[in-house]
Amino acid sequence: MSDQPQADEPIKFRRKGFKFLGLGLQEYIKYFFGGNASLAIIVLVLICTFLLKEGIAFFPDYNKELREYRQTGQEFVDYADRQIDAHTRINSDANIAYYAELNQSSKFEDDILSAYRSVGSFVRSATSSETDQLKRYTERIEDLEDNLAKLAEAPATDEIDGRAQIQQLAVELDDYQQRSEKLKGEILTHFRLHLANESIWENVRPGIHLSKESKELVLTAVLHKQPGVKEEYPEIKQLMADSSAKKKVATESLAEFKSTITALSKAVRPMKSFVRDLKDIASENAREAKKFSTAELRYDALLKGSEKAATESDKQRFIEQAGAVDRTKPNFEEITKPLIAKTDEHNKLSVELQKEIARLVPLLPKNPATESARENLQKVQGNAANFPNIAEESREEMMDWNFDKKNSVFHALGAFFFGKHWISNSSWRDFYGILPLFTGSLLIALIALAVAVPFSLAAAIYVNQLASRREQNFIKPAIEFIGAIPSVVLGFFGILVLGTALRNVSQIEALSWIPGFPMAERLTILNAGLLLAFMAVPTIFTLAEDALNNVPQALSENSFAMGASKLQTILRVVFPASISGIIAAVLLGFGRIVGETMVVLLVAGNKIKIPDFTEGIGVVTQPAHTMTGIIAQELGEVDKGSLHWGALFMVGLVLFFMSLVINFSAQRILKKLQKF
Amino acid sequence: MMKKIVMTTALLAGLSVSAFAEDKIIIKGSDTLGAKMVPQQAEAYKEAGNEVGFEIAAEGSSSAFTNLLSGSADIGMSSRNIKDSENESFTAKGKEIVETTAGYDMIGVIVNSANSVESLTLEQVEGIFTGDITDWSEVGGQAGPISAYTRNTSSGTYKSFQEMAMGKRDYGSDTQKMAGNEQIAAEVAKNANGIGYVGLAYVKKDGITPVKVDDIELKPENAKDYPIARSLFFYTIKGELSEAAQKFLTWATTDEKAAAVVERVGFIPLKK
Repeated sequence: MSDQPQADEPIKFRRKGFKFLGLGLQEYIKYFFGGNASLAIIVLVLICTFLLKEGIAFFPDYNKELREYRQTGQEFVDYADRQIDAHTRINSDANIAYYAELNQSSKFEDDILSAYRSVGSFVRSATSSETDQLKRYTERIEDLEDNLAKLAEAPATDEIDGRAQIQQLAVELDDYQQRSEKLKGEILTHFRLHLANESIWENVRPGIHLSKESKELVLTAVLHKQPGVKEEYPEIKQLMADSSAKKKVATESLAEFKSTITALSKAVRPMKSFVRDLKDIASENAREAKKFSTAELRYDALLKGSEKAATESDKQRFIEQAGAVDRTKPNFEEITKPLIAKTDEHNKLSVELQKEIARLVPLLPKNPATESARENLQKVQGNAANFPNIAEESREEMMDWNFDKKNSVFHALGAFFFGKHWISNSSWRDFYGILPLFTGSLLIALIALAVAVPFSLAAAIYVNQLASRREQNFIKPAIEFIGAIPSVVLGFFGILVLGTALRNVSQIEALSWIPGFPMAERLTILNAGLLLAFMAVPTIFTLAEDALNNVPQALSENSFAMGASKLQTILRVVFPASISGIIAAVLLGFGRIVGETMVVLLVAGNKIKIPDFTEGIGVVTQPAHTMTGIIAQELGEVDKGSLHWGALFMVGLVLFFMSLVINFSAQRILKKLQKF
Repeated sequence: MMKKIVMTTALLAGLSVSAFAEDKIIIKGSDTLGAKMVPQQAEAYKEAGNEVGFEIAAEGSSSAFTNLLSGSADIGMSSRNIKDSENESFTAKGKEIVETTAGYDMIGVIVNSANSVESLTLEQVEGIFTGDITDWSEVGGQAGPISAYTRNTSSGTYKSFQEMAMGKRDYGSDTQKMAGNEQIAAEVAKNANGIGYVGLAYVKKDGITPVKVDDIELKPENAKDYPIARSLFFYTIKGELSEAAQKFLTWATTDEKAAAVVERVGFIPLKK
């Protein structure tokens, strides 16, 4: 009786329960959760240190690499190479202009022929499985016919048996012939079906417009050239002949143009072979340097190997090989001397090349007939006028060049953060400049934001302020469901559906005024941006809707009391009140987009080049590469601990810091919200 | 007496190990070889009456060497030669690597089927992929900016093509790096101005046509003359190959049935 607790006595069961090492169950549960939270933080710190450790070593290494680029004379040779590049541009544009003029003469015929080829190849590939089947039948038929012929010729040893065999083969042959005929009929039907479809013309090169008669001709000719038919349709044959005849006439009339561009391309030859020799020397130097930088490793490896070798003779061999490893440092001054010695010769060639360009470029036609030729010749004139400057610049740089010029510590930093070239796995020299990847990532993210923000904000405002409860219950989960779609699925959608659709739309004549249209590529910044916008919508929508929800009811009630309409209240009161939350939502959406990998890897087109901004807004129709994409694409095969490995980790670090800054600022902005 | 016992035990241990290993041959490495060729060879090998199991993993040429080094593979497959740095890691463990040619692969330069260009010189191919040539009209086609699609830098083919077709020059910055043969073929098929390169096994896809290079058609018969052809390799470690694996390796490189498989999947067997 006495053990009955009194009502006012404090409950003691906590102290009586499970105890281990002086701690009760409650404490253990508390520490379990606390432990999990701190584990997350520890892992985060570990990831940071890991990234830093792998990444930071990159800069000294890269500095060394860039120094080696100088010491081996490769830098010197690249200066010498610059004039060749400049000449290549001039030459290439002049060539394009020439062929534009030449092809103009037979444009009518070539357009029809091109359309004929496009439509034909589409129809043939659409029916390829049947065609293959038909081919097998035909082969079989030929076999059977051969056998029959042989049997008929050779006097059968047993007449009855021979006849039975012939009969059997004949039956089989008949069967195959019937099947083959039937299949031919089917193929013809399929051809007709495809050709009747107006969308067949989507396969034709953009910019080709055919008259109704020409289209008819194309259709008839494609239908004529069914599988098995070798001869071209007569009118197509005629067109081919006409085209080459017209080209022949045009070639004669453009003979002067042709001889000028031939002379122009010949002008660079002495320079080219000269620089090729320089390159050979520098490559040899680079090999020496590489050998030296890895000699120590090889030596160690061989010694280590000798300890583990199975037999005494193997051991001896390893030690011998180790002794043979050349560990002397190459004398860079000595090995770059042959390069510097050629500076004068290079100057001489350069002056000659300049003279030739100055002599030949004015000989190019002044008034070409086609727009394309005019544009390209203008480019030629501009580049040719600039050529002496480039030559002078490269000359000065070559004169200034010294194999031993020191780079500051910041050289590698600058070369990484502002480098315009990302060249890995090169046979000449690797460069790791993040700028092309950074601009690619940023451009894609900006497009995605530009599309996603208005949509998700409008949706958030509608759902939060205007929608009925039933609508809310439908729209919110539907939008949030988008987040559940795996990004690789979206990537495939981008390749197979969106890319093709975008390009087809861009080729509509009426839309050609839009900058960047018609698009040449399917995999572009625009395509990736649109898909990422789709992925960012749930993030931005949910957070923005929360922000709107957090605006106190009193504010809008006050607004109504003052006589404001619903719309006025939303735009003037609720929206401004939640602006910090909305900005945070947009920032977090941005973070989501920048970090996305799969979609950009599949859809962005992976061109490692800073997009050409001279196209204005049309820049979005170009392909680009991204920071996340390059890591996913290149980390797989790279040697652990190599310079390339370090470079990829640095890219990872940059991404990491971007996300960190974005998240941090989003949180700071969100804190402002708590004022209400 | 003691010596005898030790010897016998060692022999027995050796025998039991090799008997154990006979159950399974582990082959790892290149995707080019491991996707079709080696698995089909393994099937054919079993059909020919050899009772042995196979474990084949195709994760890229580099994985051949990491797995051989750690002892988790008997045979490594590679579409490129071993790198110096990789060779050194074997040396450091006192191991020596043995290279066996498995067959040859030709890399086809493909264009869209609607393209009128049928032949390119090797110099033109170099110009196109290095970015010197930017328009189809420069190589005799209809005017249009060239879109060049390449493999990405981690692919063995990326490097092979650079060495064989581009005079070791760097890829132009306008080239687009695709995930694999399939994607290159798909993009070229959809882009009238596209050009790319794929292994021989992929050139029959719809919408693309291989061009002649230096006037030589892309056909297995022309393997000797075609300028863009390379070897495929098996790698093993000297002295560590189990009897069963050695037997398979010999079969795969000499038997006619193995050669037939090589041919069927679009490569060129050793004898040709």
